[in-house]
Amino acid sequence: MNMKIHSPEGDLMDEVVELSSTTPLFSGGKIGVLENGKPNADLLLTKIAEGLAGRIDAKFSITTGKAKELMLLQHAILKLLECLQRKFNWF
Amino acid sequence: MGENVGMESQSQFLELSDEDPDTIYEVFEKHGWGDGLPLVAPTDKRVTEMLSYIEASPEEVLTVLPPRGGSATYRSVAVNAVLAGCKPEYFPVVVAAVKALGDQRINLRGVNTTTHPVAPLLIVHGRAVDEFGFNSGLGVFGPGNRANATVGRAIRLILLHIAGAVPGPGDASTQGQPSKYTYCIAENQKENPWDSYPVTIGVNSESALTVHCGENPHNFHDMESENIERILDKAASAMTTFGVNNACISGGEWFVILCPEHAATAFDQGWGREDVSEYLFEKARMPAGHFREQFNLLAWADWMHSLSDDELVPMTQQVENIKVLVSGGAGKHSCVVPSWGMTRSVTVPI
Repeated sequence: MNMKIHSPEGDLMDEVVELSSTTPLFSGGKIGVLENGKPNADLLLTKIAEGLAGRIDAKFSITTGKAKELMLLQHAILKLLECLQRKFNWF
Repeated sequence: MGENVGMESQSQFLELSDEDPDTIYEVFEKHGWGDGLPLVAPTDKRVTEMLSYIEASPEEVLTVLPPRGGSATYRSVAVNAVLAGCKPEYFPVVVAAVKALGDQRINLRGVNTTTHPVAPLLIVHGRAVDEFGFNSGLGVFGPGNRANATVGRAIRLILLHIAGAVPGPGDASTQGQPSKYTYCIAENQKENPWDSYPVTIGVNSESALTVHCGENPHNFHDMESENIERILDKAASAMTTFGVNNACISGGEWFVILCPEHAATAFDQGWGREDVSEYLFEKARMPAGHFREQFNLLAWADWMHSLSDDELVPMTQQVENIKVLVSGGAGKHSCVVPSWGMTRSVTVPI
């Protein structure tokens, strides 16, 4: 005998949030992007920082903190980031 | 066996080919739903009965749950309460928990997506404990009580299905933890020598629910001591560890859940719960230099950063972050529940 059941998922809704006010950019200023050491955070944030610098015609540089064990670049992760960049038209 | 998906005006239904419990199990597995345990089929009859315990429109949105952005309507919450095995009379408690999780102070997006094993601990207070049959005594953390087990499980299913906190796509928790299946207890007010916890924070309601997002409980025991200091030294020992987020995030809270016997020892010595908090605030400390050796990043209050290496740092930045309540039965085991850190507990009326 057939049985009809409710789906457990709710409808997707756009969440309305209030954005923070923007800080005006000025020549000579610096924008810092700090990564928290989570896996691949450095790769993601480097890409974001590069894109942001390109968008506002700023100079991009990397500052490293305490010495960390060298990690091999994960090409799979970089490829994924490039796909996401193209798909969502980031920068 | 199989399923057809049909859209109706307000809800999505699945039509299963038969009523065999294995069928719903397999359909849910195919969709990536469920928590791995058998489920109660959310038929329209069961969902309608669940909804009858709340006076509200089933389509009213309680809150939107991240990271998926699913709308937690009374109906979708009821569906998951049925799945979990909740009795319909538990529904107001489940609803209160969802409302609490929607409070910005919880930071549910972080709680649901972090690499940390955090799970929301639900604590039921007041009249609802006896009215709905929650266990506040022996074995309060489980297993064995339907209210504790199913209300906690309903919240996890809501977080999986509506919020999308699925291991991998949503929930990045490295190892998870058992309390991600269910995590619900009740305050033992009958054996609590002090006021109920909600009263101490200004929530004056016959029934209330607290949500604290944290780790599994860290047990400590003391079978011997006749003074509270020696008992709380064990609690302080459980708290002073680099392995908890409270070590590097000073804004995190602690829930110290004393068994009735430990609470009675404190009370008999003339201590209030504030005295317990203050003792632990002073005792649960380690030298600042040791923290600096262990962590590159310390999300500390400014005053803690200014301490020299040999000065002692508490395991939270203010004494008010150490919350004390009474639960459990006889046997002189108590516990502390560390916080995920970037979250604040919330207490709401039921």
